[in-house]
Amino acid sequence: MKTLIIGEIINNNLSSGTLEILGKAKSLDLDVQVVTVGSDENPSIGVDLCKQTYLKRQNNSLNLSKAATKISEIIKNEEINLILGSSTYMCRDLISFLSVDLNSSPVSNVIDFDVSSGNVSTVNSINGGESLYKTKINSDQALLLIRPKAFDPVEVNFNDDFETIDLDGSDLEVFDIFIEEKSGPQLEDSKVVISAGRGMVDKENLELIETLASKLNAAIGGTRAIVDAGWMPYSQQVGQTGKTVKPDVYIACGISGATQHQVGMKDSKFVIAINKDEEAPIFQLADLGIVGDTLSVIPKLNDNI
Amino acid sequence: MKIAVCAKQIPDPANEVTYSNGTIERPEEQVLDDTDRYGIEVALQLKEKFDAEVTIISMGPSGTQKGLQQALQMGADKAVFVDDESLEGANSLMTANVLSELAKSLSADIVIFGTESTDGYSGTVPQQVSRYLDLECISYVKAVEINDNVTLTRQTVEGSEKLNMPEKCVISVTAGGVEPRYPNFKDIMAAKSKPIEQVSISDLTINTTQNLEFIDIETVENSKSGEKITDEGEAYQEIVNKLKELKVI
Repeated sequence: MKTLIIGEIINNNLSSGTLEILGKAKSLDLDVQVVTVGSDENPSIGVDLCKQTYLKRQNNSLNLSKAATKISEIIKNEEINLILGSSTYMCRDLISFLSVDLNSSPVSNVIDFDVSSGNVSTVNSINGGESLYKTKINSDQALLLIRPKAFDPVEVNFNDDFETIDLDGSDLEVFDIFIEEKSGPQLEDSKVVISAGRGMVDKENLELIETLASKLNAAIGGTRAIVDAGWMPYSQQVGQTGKTVKPDVYIACGISGATQHQVGMKDSKFVIAINKDEEAPIFQLADLGIVGDTLSVIPKLNDNI
Repeated sequence: MKIAVCAKQIPDPANEVTYSNGTIERPEEQVLDDTDRYGIEVALQLKEKFDAEVTIISMGPSGTQKGLQQALQMGADKAVFVDDESLEGANSLMTANVLSELAKSLSADIVIFGTESTDGYSGTVPQQVSRYLDLECISYVKAVEINDNVTLTRQTVEGSEKLNMPEKCVISVTAGGVEPRYPNFKDIMAAKSKPIEQVSISDLTINTTQNLEFIDIETVENSKSGEKITDEGEAYQEIVNKLKELKVI
């Protein structure tokens, strides 16, 4: 099946999400090409596995709709049937625009898909991962938004062998571009993640988590509730609308474990949960559950590690 | 300025979502999706500054209309909705098709959404509506400053960026972007006399189809039979031991 992956650039290379989808597409033996949208000057995004096209945006205007129009053209000219993108801000915008152009509703939050005798079928995780929802796509084109960490990334060597198409800017000028400073281990690739929830009571108490994280060389995450409260930047949110993590050890501190949070962490290898409420749903996912006050347990951990 | 704000009625999120033949089961009484309160708040702030008319647009089983009432209680002027059997289990594109037709019928300049609904969370409808209306979509807005200009701050993968709101556009607002207002008793009473109008689907141009066929829902055994220890002061030791065993320390 002729397949187009919408690629994204992180640190001058293809993002891990793009490589995960490429890995899956290769394992299904799909006839695949990547069309990457970004604004980097000289990215190294060519891959020897397949054709790569770079749609270069101006970062001083919002012109994703123009990028989508260009991708629609490629899809029509090359008779593409399957369009894949990662569930990121940019790909959600692009795939949504494309779905209108192609008159084919996309499937969001896909964790697995298959292609057999010309048909695409998908699997979604619903109810916080308690159930799998299966769909068959009956339109000529299938558009899928795939959750990060659903597949193993393909190993690639990047090269500079790709065509670049410059996109026009739009009238919508973008200013005050702010790049969040990232220090310490990052959520997506850290072996240990410590996440904080409302049970931390006060923003000041996050210092306890920071101390523990530096001792364990861990990345720090949080629930939507505390991100909304302004205790942590959005980039550290773990869950449905935030990041998906899959560390060796996940330590949930004062997190009740709403299904929206579970989606982002349930595939962690070993889960330690500390919560006052014995009935908190997080304990169903925990390999080691401590029923107790996070604010008294963590200081003791910090003193003894 | 004419503003359309999307409000979805959803089953009370305190209860687990249940499905019947692949479609979310919807009780007679549904509530306003909290996600939409952020969009409504932005619309109301614009109304206060620019004397706009704010209309709630909605699609789905209307039932007791409680969710629509809740949207009006916040301060919207009126509501229009489409409720038709043929839309049962509508996919995101079909939903966007209907909502964009409603926005068109109102000649809306600005169309505002939450980022994704709490029950379906496909997270594509605002962008799809913008494409139908041939407007730019300013997605993932996390802060709004209203002066003579309106400055919107968008969440991006690396951080954020700002734009001035154009005269016509579609906006999606992230949860936490603004502080939604709570209606008082007077607002609640006033909402009862605000117009709620049902629009017939036959008055709209719908050319989408149900291209997604439900196959099956499978339950997976998720729960782990992990150890659970009640802390009596020494439980930290269990964590330390486990971290050693896992070679984290």
